[in-house]
Amino acid sequence: MSTPQETPAPPARNGKGGPPLVRLVDAGKRYGAVIALQDINMEVSAGEVTCVLGDNGAGKSTLIKIIAGLHQPSSGTYEVEGTPVSFSSPREALERGIATVYQDLAVVPLMPVWRNFFLGNEVNKGPRMDIPAMKKMCKDELLAMGIDLRDVDQPIGTLSGGERQCVAISRAVHFGAKVLILDEPTAALGVKQSGVVLKYIIQARERGLGVIFITHNPHHAYPVGDRFLLLNRGKSIGYYEKNQVTRDELTGLMAGGAELEQLSHELESAGGAAAEVGRSLEQDVTELGIVHETEGGTSTGAATAATQQEGSSRP
Amino acid sequence: MAQTTEAPVAPPPRADERVGQKSTLARLFARPEAGAIAGAIVIYLFFFIIAPPFRNASSFSTTLYVTSTYGLMATPVALLMIGGEFDLSAGVAVTSSALCASLFSYEFTTNAWVGVVVALALSLLIGFINGWVVVKTGIPSFLVTLGMFFMLQGLNLALTQTITNQVASPDISTLQGFGSAQKVFASSFTIGGVNVRITVVYWIVWVIIATWILLRTRVGNWIFAVGGSAPSARAVGVPVAKMKIGLFMAVGFMAWFTGMHTLFQFNTIQSGQGVGNEFVYIIAAVVGGCLLTGGYGSAVGAAIGALIFGMVNQGIVYAGWNPYWFTFFVGALLLGAILLNTYIRRRAEASV
Amino acid sequence: MPRSRRRAIGIALFMILPLVLAACSATGGKKAAQAAQGGGTSVAAGHANTQRYTIAMITHAAPGDTFWDIIRHGALAAAAKDNITLKYSSDPDPTKQAALIQDAINSKVNGIAVTDPNPAAICPTIQKAVQAGIPVVMFNAGVNNWQQCGGMSYFGQDESIAGLAAGKRLAQAGAKHVLCVLQATGQVQLEARCAGVAKGLGSEGTMTKVYVNGTDNSAMLSSMTAKLTQDKSIDAVITLGAPVALVAIQAISSANSTAKLYTFDTNAALIAKIKSGAVQWAVDQQPYLQGYLSVDSLWLYLTNGNIIGGGVTVLTGPAFIDASNVAKVSQYALAGNR
Repeated sequence: MSTPQETPAPPARNGKGGPPLVRLVDAGKRYGAVIALQDINMEVSAGEVTCVLGDNGAGKSTLIKIIAGLHQPSSGTYEVEGTPVSFSSPREALERGIATVYQDLAVVPLMPVWRNFFLGNEVNKGPRMDIPAMKKMCKDELLAMGIDLRDVDQPIGTLSGGERQCVAISRAVHFGAKVLILDEPTAALGVKQSGVVLKYIIQARERGLGVIFITHNPHHAYPVGDRFLLLNRGKSIGYYEKNQVTRDELTGLMAGGAELEQLSHELESAGGAAAEVGRSLEQDVTELGIVHETEGGTSTGAATAATQQEGSSRP
Repeated sequence: MAQTTEAPVAPPPRADERVGQKSTLARLFARPEAGAIAGAIVIYLFFFIIAPPFRNASSFSTTLYVTSTYGLMATPVALLMIGGEFDLSAGVAVTSSALCASLFSYEFTTNAWVGVVVALALSLLIGFINGWVVVKTGIPSFLVTLGMFFMLQGLNLALTQTITNQVASPDISTLQGFGSAQKVFASSFTIGGVNVRITVVYWIVWVIIATWILLRTRVGNWIFAVGGSAPSARAVGVPVAKMKIGLFMAVGFMAWFTGMHTLFQFNTIQSGQGVGNEFVYIIAAVVGGCLLTGGYGSAVGAAIGALIFGMVNQGIVYAGWNPYWFTFFVGALLLGAILLNTYIRRRAEASV
Repeated sequence: MPRSRRRAIGIALFMILPLVLAACSATGGKKAAQAAQGGGTSVAAGHANTQRYTIAMITHAAPGDTFWDIIRHGALAAAAKDNITLKYSSDPDPTKQAALIQDAINSKVNGIAVTDPNPAAICPTIQKAVQAGIPVVMFNAGVNNWQQCGGMSYFGQDESIAGLAAGKRLAQAGAKHVLCVLQATGQVQLEARCAGVAKGLGSEGTMTKVYVNGTDNSAMLSSMTAKLTQDKSIDAVITLGAPVALVAIQAISSANSTAKLYTFDTNAALIAKIKSGAVQWAVDQQPYLQGYLSVDSLWLYLTNGNIIGGGVTVLTGPAFIDASNVAKVSQYALAGNR
């Protein structure tokens, strides 16, 4: 059983041979005195999914904004297909094939599905739009992703959350995105709909796109991801390939081991029913194999996690 | 009991059972203009019944004239509202444009058309300033244009006073070019014995152009997007700032057009005119189905809203009602039209 | 700058040049107006060598009403002659007008000339001015109770009397159904005029009122056209302001009506219409005189203790301007003084 180790990311590999589609090297972002991101290294290549995991406030949205072209990194480099870039607007990133599907989806609720689909990329026939062609293309493209919409004329706000996600994703795919950034697509969805979205992520991957999948749910991330970047308070606490980490380990790291431990102690000291919860939580911590440091030495969980993790950054 | 296997036959394409058979009528009612059309028909019939003079063609022509003077401005105001912004300076901007043309050509004794061109530049500039301030500062357009409204109102009065020492613009009918400008902006023609003013034709043409832009072009798609959700539009690369400034300048352009009609129809312009009209334009747009929050509406709807306003305005006079009740009835009828509009839209959405 | 761009600019300038040359108008405009007046536009003459006084004139003028321009011209002419600084302010809202009067009191002006369209709101403040030792003259509106308010003199026209005179003349002209057009609602002077017209007509004819929106020419045009279309029996239209009369000319022709047009108050454009016969006559309350006398009477009081009028209204009208005397008046009208 290989232990999770923080190794520098292995040399880039991708389906087509060549530099990764998107790569951040020691990237960081400051807003005045606030350090939102520090020393981030990550990459994604064609036909791969890189998951960015982290709880709220970890810096995921800042990371997305940098990759999407809304902000520029204050330090480090941002490379697209091997060449350093500096986007001054999302439009430029879009032109390089980096498409973002935001949590709030960047759709206009009152407009029909087909208008939303082609927003910014309308098909013209002379001075006017080719509406019948656009409606057909929209319906076909959605069908190809497995969505059979009742009526592409209905306002997109009337679709369910999952359907809207899928329209947004298929829009990005249709317009030639090379890299797809998905910002917490499953956050507001139920189990079944989440499954559908994960299916599309895989389909996008199979079509040769690079996908950056941001989520705080390791159970969604693990099945589809090829690499995993864990963020906490703006720093990377781990960057692994699939074969370097198990799902449980991932969950454990995500869960923020030390915090869980403290939480369980708090609950136990409260007594009564809370203490029950605290004890079961402590058990989970043990099972997850989380190693942590407290004042006056370390306590370890199960034997599998006996090895100290030197130099792993701690929150 | 031999089992016969049939060659699998491809099932006929199954109509999606989730799609209810939407009758043409239901489709019509879902349009933003539906409520306005219903309201217009109701009001027309109402005055048709109670006011005999309303019925004849020349009366309707007069009603159409009033409608067109409001409708010309209501069109870009509606487009702007769909794009998510308000322009409260639209009413006085018309007067500013007319005054500019008149004062410039009078003071420098130029051809009337020179004044017309200068006024166009001014009106576009006012529109640009409105849009630019809204976009750069992020202050709600309601407030920005309210400030512009007061400034223009003051400038109209003060500059006219300073330049001509009077509060009305001077007589420019003797300037060269006045006659031809009058033919372009303020003429009238007769169809079947009825005198129709040319603004009616211009109004209809502009409404058609605006509708085509809204529904059939890329720019129209962007207008809906910018009004429906500016951040979303920006995220997919729609140039939001340029769109908004452009829409304000469209209002400015039409203020110029309407101002030129007023100038060449009436020759002298009182510098205090135009105040209050900005709300009529907005009401016409809202009655016509435009949402105050933006992202939804139609130019045809605003045209019908202007028609409703015109019919109410004139119908009350034709009906000979007590003039003191005039403003009350105008308000009540408009409120009725808006309620009817909302009711119909809700029914249409419920039946989907 | 790339060559193609320079060329484009050059071509553009070349095209604009003939337009610029054609831009000047051979007829009309300011040049023609100044030539017609032949110099000497204002009525300012000599200059008094008395102390410089400050007089505040506060009216109920709505912004943009041409009528008040003429009053101001008269007031300014008197102020120039009498070495007076004139501070002019106005507000159609009575409460705000009263506040302006109070401002004048606080600035310790030497005299106040004021209109009183709403005695309940304005009178108390006028009385305060009088108590503060500031002489007050009144003009144009408030003819019925200016004495109680504390005014020294009143210059103006009694609107009811003017309406009566107008009505009598309309009856003489054979009008049977008169349309009285009011350009604002809730204005006492306008209502008094129409009421006077009705009284003057007596049993000879009937009067109908119509209210129009004085701030919107197109709306006025349409409303008047509609009314004339609705009631074909109207054979006379009387408006209460010169700008309204100008629009009424178009309304009458739009409605294919044979009604004749009459009006209260004049301005330069209207005088031309009387000349051309589009308007039969105008009731002139000589606003220039009202403004002039208000300022001059205060000067006389301040320098010599004189009071004009003996406690009785000094009437400045009604005077009728019609085809017979319009020629004389039109020159003054062009200068904005009639």
